[in-house]
Amino acid sequence: MKILTPEEAIKNNAYKNALTELLYQLADDDFILSYRGSEWLGLAPHIEEDVAFSSINQDTMGHAAMFYQLLENLGEGKMDGLAHNRPANRWRNACLLEKVNGTGHYLNEPKYDWAFAVCRHYFYTSFKKIRMESLKTSSYQPLADAAVRVSIELFYHQLHWKTWFQQLMLAGGEAKTRMEKAIQTVCNDFGGVLGLGSLGESMVTFSLIDSEETIKNRWNCLMESIFEGVSSSLPETLGSMNGDGRNGVHTQDLEAALKTLSEVYQLDPTATW
Amino acid sequence: MAGEGFYQEYEVFSRRSDTSPMQYQFSLLAPNAELALVMAQENFLRRESASDIWVVKRSNIRKMTLDEKESLQRLDNKEYRNTKGYGYLKKKWRQYEQGMLDEKEIMSWGGKQSDENPHS
Amino acid sequence: MDNAISFEMLTEEEKYKHFIERIEAKSKIEADDWMPEEYRKTLIKLISMHGISEIMGALPEKEWVPKAPSLKRKLGIMAKVQDEMGHGQLLLRVAEDLMKPYGKNRENIMQDLFTGELKFHNVFHMEAPTWADAGLIGWLVDGAAIITQTNMLDASYGPYARALKRICAEEVFHAQHGESIIMALAEGTAEQRAMVQDSLNRWWEALLMFFGPGDSSTTGTSKQDITIKYHIRTKTNEQLRQDFFTKYIPRVLSLGLKLPDESMRFDDESGKWLYRQPDWSRFKEIIKNKGPKSESRLRLRKISYETNEWVREALSSRSSGM
Ligand SMILES: [Fe+2]
Ligand SMILES: [Fe+2]
Repeated sequence: MKILTPEEAIKNNAYKNALTELLYQLADDDFILSYRGSEWLGLAPHIEEDVAFSSINQDTMGHAAMFYQLLENLGEGKMDGLAHNRPANRWRNACLLEKVNGTGHYLNEPKYDWAFAVCRHYFYTSFKKIRMESLKTSSYQPLADAAVRVSIELFYHQLHWKTWFQQLMLAGGEAKTRMEKAIQTVCNDFGGVLGLGSLGESMVTFSLIDSEETIKNRWNCLMESIFEGVSSSLPETLGSMNGDGRNGVHTQDLEAALKTLSEVYQLDPTATW
Repeated sequence: MAGEGFYQEYEVFSRRSDTSPMQYQFSLLAPNAELALVMAQENFLRRESASDIWVVKRSNIRKMTLDEKESLQRLDNKEYRNTKGYGYLKKKWRQYEQGMLDEKEIMSWGGKQSDENPHS
Repeated sequence: MDNAISFEMLTEEEKYKHFIERIEAKSKIEADDWMPEEYRKTLIKLISMHGISEIMGALPEKEWVPKAPSLKRKLGIMAKVQDEMGHGQLLLRVAEDLMKPYGKNRENIMQDLFTGELKFHNVFHMEAPTWADAGLIGWLVDGAAIITQTNMLDASYGPYARALKRICAEEVFHAQHGESIIMALAEGTAEQRAMVQDSLNRWWEALLMFFGPGDSSTTGTSKQDITIKYHIRTKTNEQLRQDFFTKYIPRVLSLGLKLPDESMRFDDESGKWLYRQPDWSRFKEIIKNKGPKSESRLRLRKISYETNEWVREALSSRSSGM
């Protein structure tokens, strides 16, 4: 079964609900992580890297915009409203991706953690690549098309973060200690990234995406080979310590982020900016 | 081999498409070639396409000194090396009622199926 | 090579003569070429300040990157600020190569910034409290930067000229990015229009100062004569400021904005804009890191530098090739 247009998709209520839920997960994941990335701008460990990192954040926000566009086409409202005018409990991103970059605020004593940035981005990009592969055969054709386009840019993201991950892991000493701590932090919440939320079964039944189990196994396989290469191993358990973002449970970090990112928009949501 | 510090100089080259020559872009600082490579495109080719990128450690490049650059100068008397020195052939071939196979003509042959019928 | 004609055999005086002949003949000086000490030092000062100003200049606009009011604006300003970091990269590379004979590198540039030895541009010490400031910086600060940077496109120092060529190409996007934000506000609600006017009032003096004092009698520190002598730039500070007025004043007025200087007018007789001088003593204070945002922006750079020190440390000891 292939659904080719949004008009077709909204005819079946159950299908539409599963689809929009999935799209919110995709859009919100990319948007909030690229927002966190944008806070890093100007603060990276090295000027050349600052520039490279920003391109990845722009790409990722571009992907979020593609998914918000699909939601807009399904009648969910204007994409800028979706990104700037929703209460936290309506966000479907994983809690790991909303987590602050470190202590402080981007304008005030930002003691950001590069090890966490590398691990979070590397783990997420690896997962995103697998997720996009799965979406390429999604029953919703506009989503399958978007997945093909998004995948193109993930080669670079993957290469970039893998290089940083391997080098810092192999550097030993303080770097390795910091990296291992960051890996643990990421894994504490990575279960939340892999989850599909309460409509997960329906998404799978409607052939929108592969099951949580399938994607998790593929991701585990990929990570195991990477960890072998750096003589380390992936922690046994992947949790969702800070909440189940897929079902709208979020942290204070998201609340604060939404306030910042919509500060100007909220001055006048009806104005043209 | 011991490291030499974080700020190593790398020169970046890129090819716009598979058929274009390698072109020098700029230099960047990186601790090693792998990181230089993952930063190169976004630093110098954000708005241009690339089909290949090279990074070269600057210390591996043998540059010319000011004196050595003088050795690059030449007299303008090497017509015999260029088609310019053989321009008279055009007239000659005309006497034999043949066209000149000049550069434009020859460079246009590459791999194309000939649709010219020699007997026509 | 025949020693009799070797460049290395020339006296300092002959080398200097040869060098001047080269720049007069418009040939470009390269990093490894012989150059007079004064030329090298002038370039180091000029280009390291230019480069670090790009890096520090990313910070006021960066305040608005996470807050930009739409997806398109978020992407646009991210790309714009990224370019500014990229300009810093290009220029610092040029400065670093010039400093190499003194055994200095990027580490020293950063330390000089933190100690106050290395100054950054007056405009980047100023506050940017509203979204309109993000637009105004792109439109007018980048506009002013375009005027000064295009003036040096033909600089005698090859690496600087090449970096500027890349930079100016991107500045065209910056100016349009800024114009787009400003135009949306100028055509928007009364509050949005007021926001732009406020921002213009706030930035006016800094924009006048941008080009530096008219001559050294004002502050006693003008380096413009040396840079003109060595064919690094062609126009004086005042000429550049006048060019800026000519290009931008009509555009500012066309959007219905008021000039913060009521006395300002174009004088047909002298062919010049007459305007109220900014407070040059304040300018001197600002560039001594005593501007409203000097401390906090330096603090941001320093935190980033120190917090990430471990990353650079970790990879310094790694050998090349995995
Ligand atoms: Fe710039
Ligand atoms: Fe700019």
